[in-house]
Amino acid sequence: MALPAIGSAGLALDDVAARLAAALPSDLSDLRVQEPDTVVAVVAPAVLHDVALRLRGLEGLAYESCNFVAAVDLGDGFEAVYHLYSFAANSYLELHVAVPRAKPVLDTVSDVWPAADWHEREAFDMMGIRFEGHPDPRRILLPDDWVGHPLRKDYVDSIENHPNV
Amino acid sequence: MSDQFATTAPDEAMALALRRIADSEAAGRGSEMAGLGFNQVVVNMGPQHPSTHGVLRLVVTLDGELVKDVIPVIGYLHRGKEKIAEKRTYYQYIPIVDRTEYVAGMNCEWGYVRTVEKLAGIEPTRRAEFIRVIMAELNRIASHQVGVGTFTADLAPLGTAMVFYAFRHREKILDLLEAASGARMMFNYFRFGGVRYDLPDGWVETCRELMLQVPAWCREYEALVNDNAVFLQRCLGKGVMTQDDVADYAITGPNARASGVAHDLRRTRPYSVYPELDFEVCLGRHGDVYDRYQVRVDEIRESAKIVLQCLDMLPAGPVQLGTLRAPYVVTPPPGACYTAQENPRGEFGTYIVSDGSRYPYRLKYRDPCFVNLQIFPKLLRGNKIADAVAISGSMDLVLGGIDR
Amino acid sequence: MGLIEGVGLGPIADRIHYPNISQFERPNVVTTTVDFIFSWARSHSVFPFTYGLACCAIEMLSSGFARFDVARYGMEVFRPTPRQCDLMIVAGTVNEKMAPVLKRLYEQMSEPKWVIAMGACATSGGPFYDGYNVVNGVDKIVPVDVYIPGCPPRPEALFQGLLELQKKIQAMRIVPPVPADDAAVAANARAAAQQSAADLSPDDLPPAAPAEELPGEALPSEAPVAPAAAPADLEKVGD
Repeated sequence: MALPAIGSAGLALDDVAARLAAALPSDLSDLRVQEPDTVVAVVAPAVLHDVALRLRGLEGLAYESCNFVAAVDLGDGFEAVYHLYSFAANSYLELHVAVPRAKPVLDTVSDVWPAADWHEREAFDMMGIRFEGHPDPRRILLPDDWVGHPLRKDYVDSIENHPNV
Repeated sequence: MSDQFATTAPDEAMALALRRIADSEAAGRGSEMAGLGFNQVVVNMGPQHPSTHGVLRLVVTLDGELVKDVIPVIGYLHRGKEKIAEKRTYYQYIPIVDRTEYVAGMNCEWGYVRTVEKLAGIEPTRRAEFIRVIMAELNRIASHQVGVGTFTADLAPLGTAMVFYAFRHREKILDLLEAASGARMMFNYFRFGGVRYDLPDGWVETCRELMLQVPAWCREYEALVNDNAVFLQRCLGKGVMTQDDVADYAITGPNARASGVAHDLRRTRPYSVYPELDFEVCLGRHGDVYDRYQVRVDEIRESAKIVLQCLDMLPAGPVQLGTLRAPYVVTPPPGACYTAQENPRGEFGTYIVSDGSRYPYRLKYRDPCFVNLQIFPKLLRGNKIADAVAISGSMDLVLGGIDR
Repeated sequence: MGLIEGVGLGPIADRIHYPNISQFERPNVVTTTVDFIFSWARSHSVFPFTYGLACCAIEMLSSGFARFDVARYGMEVFRPTPRQCDLMIVAGTVNEKMAPVLKRLYEQMSEPKWVIAMGACATSGGPFYDGYNVVNGVDKIVPVDVYIPGCPPRPEALFQGLLELQKKIQAMRIVPPVPADDAAVAANARAAAQQSAADLSPDDLPPAAPAEELPGEALPSEAPVAPAAAPADLEKVGD
């Protein structure tokens, strides 16, 4: 891995956006630049793993680090937000992947970015999005026998969760 | 009451550890001392343990004294802060962010306040920017003193004098922070557009005197432990993190810089008035426990330099936007935003999705300790159980951020 | 008693006057001295249990170090194992995952034991009272002796709580003081005292003085109850 120089400016965001559009023309839709440091794109769930692999190995722009995977409840569906960082470009890439509420299943990217492992577990724990192929799909923050996924907007707490009150 | 430690049935983490032992023995990779009749055992460290720095539970699979596998179990301090964020207004939530990484409250508040300001398009005043940097760096010194102090306290249970010196000096910094904000730990000081109070009279001079003593403090810490043969033997070469590990596991902060990765958000993605300040990024070379400790001590010196510069450059002016009423109700336009700070433990960021109301729609923390903890199993494998304590201390974990 | 008779000490053993244990039903100079010594020892060498869960743990640590020295109260011995402690300072938020652990550790402590709920979270859930996972106060799980409010409480506040606990420990008695308005219990104790005085030989003790009235407001309808009128089951209370 190339050691980034201290204070290096990396690549300009428009340059990054252009290179991403050129490298992955069909998979990254709705590509836009959000100053000062993020490029935002939308990815379809079916091609998520493929896009992840290619982003990881991109020439001169490799997104080596996965900062976080956030799960957002959009009402009519869930959204997983993958926040990636590239040392060479010194900027972030934010991927939005939408899944339907009835079947919230996504491919795991923990084999591409080991840092995404626990974030995916937390997304499952909090929002109920299942990640296929995850090596350890257990709850992470809540007790193992918790009922429900708290960060959903329609979450109703059940009395079985509270033996101690 | 469900007692998850009942002797009849192990809970999920222990069951997973036992399954992995069974799998490894089935695959012929059982205990290395199987000829002597040894088995692999599962030992539970925590959640109440003197050396796990909070309520972290490590389910350790041991082969004699060698650690074969570690399953960290977290969630014993999970307070549901992300859900609470949806029930509080942006302003009401500021004190709660303090309690994320409770040792470095100012930095956490900054992480949250900056995101909301970016969403809402609020620009803080220039004097407030400098005061924010001063508070954040003072808090960084205090936080590193806790981190380094408890790390050396773990190596010999409270047997090192260094932790007493570190905490004694930390009290002086907390006096300064208390004079400015009113609290020793949970400051509730940052506001959208500035800070809550201006600096009291005489604060700048007191702070300057104190910062001039900081290099002497660091020399004292190093004199106490750096040449100690036992300390060196326990720390040199243990828990080595390579640069590939840093990228794979998204390690940030002093843990990453100890491996030689010059990723310091104050330099690589500068924010606030950091571009105008002159300081060095402290790097280590080997990425072992000793380097992680030394990088933190060096960062204490650099933070003192930053504070002295800010005190000299502090402009006059207001520390809040408009009148007292103005920033209380903040309704950012719909959108999503992520900003990141250089917390004492790494990159701390908040990703906020706003729907235009007074309440955040979704608040997600990018907490450095949560991310840094994922590399634990990899670092601990192959080391002895006593090294596990040294390595976990050097990672400087704060469970408030891990569990939120 | 077979051994004593076999050795031939039977007649001697019959003449030995064992102190009547009913003497200790009421506070007397022996029990008050014992109380004083035990309370002094217990309250001035409390061993706290390092049960710092969250932010309050850092203030607890600070109170143990140089500036706010908890050693001046004799409580610097923070033991990490509950078996060796008598005071559990619950410092931080307790949630549903941690609650069984807390209960188990509390049960592992040996008597006498006390619990301090340090901080707003341990008292009542604190700023996270509406968290889905938070137990609103540790007193839903273990009995609490002292509550220390604050978020986090300053070390001085923790010390005030520790001093309150010391006062509470010093109020412990081996023998409970006889309540002034419970005539039947007082009469029973008087009867037992008179009985024990009658058991002893006259040249050992001065004549038994009638038990003095205990200070307290005189009940309007209090009539002295004769020992024979005491109900039969109350006699067994004095044993």
